[in-house]
Amino acid sequence: MKIHSKKIARYSIALFVIFSLNFIIPRLMPGDPITNLLGEDYVMTEESLQELREKMGLDESLPIQYLNYWNGVFRFDFGYSYHFKGPVSSIILSRMKWTLMLLIPSILFSAILGSLMGSLSGQKSSSNSFKALTLIELAFYSTPTFFLSLIFLYIFSFKLGLFPIKGFYYSGGIFDILHHFFLPISIMTIFLTSRNYMIMRGSVIQEKSKLYVVYAKAKGLSDRQVLFKHIFKNASLPLLTLLALDFGFILSGALFIEIIFSMNGMGNLIYEALLSRDYPVLYGSFMIISIMAVLANAFVDFLYGIIDPRISDSI
Amino acid sequence: MTHHIEELKKLAISKLNLNSIGIIIFLLFLLIAIAAGIISPYNPWQRFEPYTRPNSSHFLGTNDMGNDILSELLFGARVSLIVGFGASIIATILGVTVGIVSGYYRGMMDEILMAITDIYLMIPRIPLIIILAALMRPNFWLIMLLIGFLWWPTTARVVRSSTMQIRDTSFILSAKSLGFSDKHIILSEILPNINHVIIPKFMLTIASAMFSEASISFLGLGDPTMKSWGMMLNFAFMKGGLINEMWWWYLPPGLCIVAVVFSLMLIGFSLEEKENIMLGLE
Repeated sequence: MKIHSKKIARYSIALFVIFSLNFIIPRLMPGDPITNLLGEDYVMTEESLQELREKMGLDESLPIQYLNYWNGVFRFDFGYSYHFKGPVSSIILSRMKWTLMLLIPSILFSAILGSLMGSLSGQKSSSNSFKALTLIELAFYSTPTFFLSLIFLYIFSFKLGLFPIKGFYYSGGIFDILHHFFLPISIMTIFLTSRNYMIMRGSVIQEKSKLYVVYAKAKGLSDRQVLFKHIFKNASLPLLTLLALDFGFILSGALFIEIIFSMNGMGNLIYEALLSRDYPVLYGSFMIISIMAVLANAFVDFLYGIIDPRISDSI
Repeated sequence: MTHHIEELKKLAISKLNLNSIGIIIFLLFLLIAIAAGIISPYNPWQRFEPYTRPNSSHFLGTNDMGNDILSELLFGARVSLIVGFGASIIATILGVTVGIVSGYYRGMMDEILMAITDIYLMIPRIPLIIILAALMRPNFWLIMLLIGFLWWPTTARVVRSSTMQIRDTSFILSAKSLGFSDKHIILSEILPNINHVIIPKFMLTIASAMFSEASISFLGLGDPTMKSWGMMLNFAFMKGGLINEMWWWYLPPGLCIVAVVFSLMLIGFSLEEKENIMLGLE
């Protein structure tokens, strides 16, 4: 179950590159680095700006700035937001839990739904009803989450009045929170299910002509048994890999849903930061999302070792 | 036996249909994009009375600025498709180059290129584009370039594995033993033989690029001088189109995005599946 050292090296380099990008971008872009670092949402005299420049070490040489930057990263110091009036790391962490509350149930539901429907459809890929299902799933897969959210918001909240229009949920009990989360989680689940469905379907189609499947059939197992006892485990590996590899993309999908429903997670944080050009929050969010993406990949590597022991030896 | 042949025919027909439905939808939009200047009733920047409902002179009404929404939609096809195509061409050229070089030469080169590819894959692309687009002034070409330069790694992986599959086949070996240069072998032996993986991937990359452009523009990071469908959605959302239930404003651009992305995915996936059938995988 050990993760190979080559993999660990690769993840470390990925994080190193991403964090360095985060150092380079504000200094490379056109404009005053201090504006690129602080954001545009503050009022300050030239004097206090100069003072701040010194305090932030922006008059030092670039290599020293780079070392100071890493020093900050290791202390989990991602700067200060003038728009939200607080340290970036604690602002992001307080919003993160709401995003995870949207993301984690959706990932679990969609993994179950998508892999079940996808594998049945892959096994009976020539059946017309599964072809129709594939077209429907492909249509959902082609729909950006923000557009699906707009449609759902219009139908279920505006027209039918079943769900609240805005998603602020500071107060209220568990049922209130569930009421607010129902539509966003449904949309995220629909989107992710369509993705998992397409991946699982393709994967089962590839697996089902392999020799072990022919052997299982020859043993006299039924189609269902062959599918769920033999094919399923192998076919679900690509699903896991792609879930980790596209973690950033999946998370972005959730962020857009949060924006439409004015929810309290990272999506609206990024959106607000964008509208007020509060760059520190943007950089911090990018770094946290990157860390999460790399951790997701490491976690899947670990799971792979458990599911398929052949792999941990061969990587 | 005849029954079996009938089944096969049916299968062939339905396969053909899926692919051709995709091609028809896509060609329709391509035609709209090319002919936007001729078929569009007005200039998309011409101003009329704002917020009018659909009527005989404005088939889809007008927006907050008084622009004719139908004309915006038709010209938007041009903007969205150019971003999609341009980004996908860049990503495909990069991906194919990296994939072939690392799959053909293997060894150290392969190790390094694949390490770079893996690291690239882990960078959250949409958040990175959001930062870069926020720092620079939103620009149409910039967004196209950014997507192109961030979307190549998956193509590189697919191309690498197909290159590895054919590099040891007899026709490549015989070309080698005849003394052809690596460049010649790559360009005239390998490339034509992996076209069938590159083309569906190219289609799927256009879809993905258009999807991403729409998302970024929806955040208001699009080029204000080039109205894409994503930007139309952004304006409709920001300027009260949703709250005032003006469905004719925000529904058409969204549906157009879905239709084009859907058609490209249909083409891409059915080509990939046909490939699997030819390889005897189905």
